[in-house]
Amino acid sequence: MKKLLALILALAMVLSLAAASAQTVELPRNETLYFAGQQWGTVNSWNIIGTNQNNAMAIAGGPSGYRTLMFETLYMYNFMDGSMTGLLADGDYVWNDAMTEVTVKIKDAAKWSDGTPVTAEDVKRTFDIGVEIGNGTGTGYKAYIAEIVADGKNLTIKAAVNEAGVPVNPLKVVDFLSGAPIAQAAWIDAVVARNNGDATAILNDAGEDVVWSGPYTKYYADDQKVVLVRDDNYWGQDASMWGKLPVPKYIAHAMYADNAAGEVALKAGEVDVCQQFIGNVQNLWLEDGLPISTYYEEAPYGVCLTMPTAWYNMNMPVLAENAALRKAIAMAVDYDTIIANAMTNQSPSFADVPRSLMNPTGGEQALYNQAEVAELQWAGSDIEGAKKLLDEAGIVDGDGDGWREYKGEKIALNAVCPNGWSDWQASMEVVAAAGEKIGVEITTLYPEYSIYQTVFTNPNQVEYAIFMWSPEAASPSNPWTRVNQFLGTEYVGVENNWSGNWGQYVNEEADALIKKIPVTTDAEELKALYTELTKIYLTEVPSFSLMYRPSVFHAVNESVWTNYPAGDDGRNIPPADCTDGYGIAALYELELVNP
Amino acid sequence: MKNTLRQIFHSPKFMTGFVIFVVILLTLFFYPLFNPGNPLEMIGVGTFAKPGTYVSLYDALNTSRETLRLSDADDNRLAKQLKAEDRVAMLEWFNAMGIAVDFDISDTDALLKLWDDNYDPATKPKGMTMAKRNYYKRLNNALLQLKAADEIVLADVNAETKALEETGKVNKTDYVNVGQVANVKLLPLGTDNFGRDVLKELVSATGTSIIIGLIAGAVATIIGLTFGLLAGYLGGIADDLIMFITNVFTVIPGFVLLILISYSIGQDQRGASVVALVIGLTSWTWTARSVRSQVISLRNRDHVNLSKLSGHSLFRIIMTDILPYIASYVVMAFILQVSSGILSEAQLSLLGLGPKTTEVPTLGLMMNWAMLYSAHTNGSWWAYFPVILTITLISFSLNLMNTGLDQVFNPTLRD
Repeated sequence: MKKLLALILALAMVLSLAAASAQTVELPRNETLYFAGQQWGTVNSWNIIGTNQNNAMAIAGGPSGYRTLMFETLYMYNFMDGSMTGLLADGDYVWNDAMTEVTVKIKDAAKWSDGTPVTAEDVKRTFDIGVEIGNGTGTGYKAYIAEIVADGKNLTIKAAVNEAGVPVNPLKVVDFLSGAPIAQAAWIDAVVARNNGDATAILNDAGEDVVWSGPYTKYYADDQKVVLVRDDNYWGQDASMWGKLPVPKYIAHAMYADNAAGEVALKAGEVDVCQQFIGNVQNLWLEDGLPISTYYEEAPYGVCLTMPTAWYNMNMPVLAENAALRKAIAMAVDYDTIIANAMTNQSPSFADVPRSLMNPTGGEQALYNQAEVAELQWAGSDIEGAKKLLDEAGIVDGDGDGWREYKGEKIALNAVCPNGWSDWQASMEVVAAAGEKIGVEITTLYPEYSIYQTVFTNPNQVEYAIFMWSPEAASPSNPWTRVNQFLGTEYVGVENNWSGNWGQYVNEEADALIKKIPVTTDAEELKALYTELTKIYLTEVPSFSLMYRPSVFHAVNESVWTNYPAGDDGRNIPPADCTDGYGIAALYELELVNP
Repeated sequence: MKNTLRQIFHSPKFMTGFVIFVVILLTLFFYPLFNPGNPLEMIGVGTFAKPGTYVSLYDALNTSRETLRLSDADDNRLAKQLKAEDRVAMLEWFNAMGIAVDFDISDTDALLKLWDDNYDPATKPKGMTMAKRNYYKRLNNALLQLKAADEIVLADVNAETKALEETGKVNKTDYVNVGQVANVKLLPLGTDNFGRDVLKELVSATGTSIIIGLIAGAVATIIGLTFGLLAGYLGGIADDLIMFITNVFTVIPGFVLLILISYSIGQDQRGASVVALVIGLTSWTWTARSVRSQVISLRNRDHVNLSKLSGHSLFRIIMTDILPYIASYVVMAFILQVSSGILSEAQLSLLGLGPKTTEVPTLGLMMNWAMLYSAHTNGSWWAYFPVILTITLISFSLNLMNTGLDQVFNPTLRD
């Protein structure tokens, strides 16, 4: 009897397991656009005003614009030309003369998924609740926006002003227009009510009943994949917006164990759009003959918007007291090797785009006077120059052991980045090799990311001497935001600092210049300010960039879909994975290879 | 002793293993003499240069030339630029554009002429993917080179006028003798992800790994032997205690212990010798157990009892009356420990827990970097396969020697 019972139980278990595994959704391949490199792990929530959603396809403020598949922003940012295209907003935003107010009109056609119109009140409520409960929108913009005034479809954003009545940072107000996803006021009220107004509870609400305005909504999510389905009632098919629906019916993202798995899936044609770094990506088409392309056919294959940077830890006296040592190490590093090895040439070289505070896009490069700082720039591998600099500064090898000393002690530094981040690890190896050539001992150290992130965001850490992190890429407020990250004192001493100046570098002069920029509108004056800051940065060397790098990678496989954006197609759609900022325009133009 | 040695060197298994091992050791010794320098030097800018001989193009231009009129030169050039599948692809392009092809595609001249007349990189045949259009652009560029004149003009910038001035020409029939070019670099195994010479690195890494193996093997054998001898000979409480410790270590999987210890040491402390020590400290248990059982069978032999009656010290009894009887076994165990030490280093490094990377190359680290750079998926076999082969050869030779010795010392195994 017992045996029979056990047998039945075992059978039941096997059957239920089989049933569970059979539940996975099957999607028609030629209606589905598959992604890789965005979503790692199970989706936590769909709560647009919450935190910790881990929902990369639906809720993600990327460095190249907000991902507007499900939730929409007022404007879509295009990093190719810095333009802002109205999404929920109708026409351009208008500043008043003193730059204390910006007015925006909401499109008449804009509707929520429940059919109600999107109004200025929704924007106001989104901002207000953000400030109240402290979500990303609230903490990100409350210092720059005093209040939002709603009047039907008309919206006035009042910038925060200082004592003198000058706006704190109008650039950040513009960031809000393209960076803050708008939630429905009525839905926010419902969430607040069911959580009794408790901020923590609101932030952690799962938001399964969320109301959206974008062209896609949730369809399926588990620990294997997440799928969005097209909302065929999407308001954007109105002539005032896209005039049609996006082409793919489903947006799907399988959870891959690591980059290698995602790359294999891309090669096999199981992934259409891949946001992953792929070393020697050109071999995919040159040698393997696969139908895979990047935005540009030739190196650097994509649009580099940021520069992964090695930061010097100013908590260490030897680094803080010796600008010569900081500059010498930076001069000795062989950047060509880093770019060829770590980036497999998917970055312009520092000879092509000399180092400064700017990313390599034409718009930012034009913002400073290159001739004036040419003397200070270095392209790397300058061992003799670096040695000379150290000798002049009195940092010499006194005891003849081959290593230089400072105040009688051998200089021993480490170069640190997270384990498994292979391109950064390779860069740190090259930095260590440069140290050896100029007699400064640098050893590499690769802690696990979970440890790394707690140490480098700690303002008092003395464990990492040279460590890597990337500054901001592109947004309406850049390059100001990035310059502030490099030289501003705003983030010095901030606990759990994810915002900037991780090396804790303090320079009052630079700080004063940085504060002037947001309220400067005169182009010449702006250029002079940025040039001056670049001079300070290149003289003081509180950090040094190792390469240029796209903020999102964009490789597409044309086995199923085609007509992806490309550098020479004249459509001005940025390579933003068909999802971010104005990059989403690509979704409306995709075509099937075999219709 | 002499007789034993002769027996050993007559064992074909032992000899095979021994010869392989000696060849590896000799390579370690002699190769650096031919190819000196730092094995970690990054000579290549870029990742994974293919194995082969690299001739300096710059120097080749300045080397005296011979004119060779080779009848198949043009054909070779053509075959390199225009492969059979390219011809088929051209036909597809004509079809997509609705252009009639009324000749055989093996007719190169007709094909190229039609292509020349019609191809325009700006055209976008309906339904053609970006990848395919890019392919045609590349093909077109390759074909343009075919059509180029019989000579390439060399030019230099005039220091004064900054204008380009012709300084020479290279004809299609110009050849240089590789032996006369100033800089020719042979990279038998190409370069790795850092642009390092893989063969040079491999030789250096093999040396390091063998040293790691020897240290690990020595540490494991010494600990295991000491514990085994004491436990087996003393018996009683000492035996119980030592066997308790041994059992505890046996129960915990050695490799897990190894991972945990390596992780907790931290990378900045992990030199090659530290890793070797850690491997040795976690792999002594089976030596201890088997030595103990051998000693138990020895300790009641007559000569041991005689020694005891003669009042010899514990140390002397163990060293003169017991150790010599198990010496052959200990040597074999040591060989196996060396082999497994090398493997353990490779496994650890593959997980990113090996020695820190800037100082010395090891076999495991080479594999770790090859894996981090997806050498296995992008077809760069030279970055990892020779490493695997070397590890295999080392363990194979050591294990063969061990089996050979076993047959000599263990009469029951003799043929």
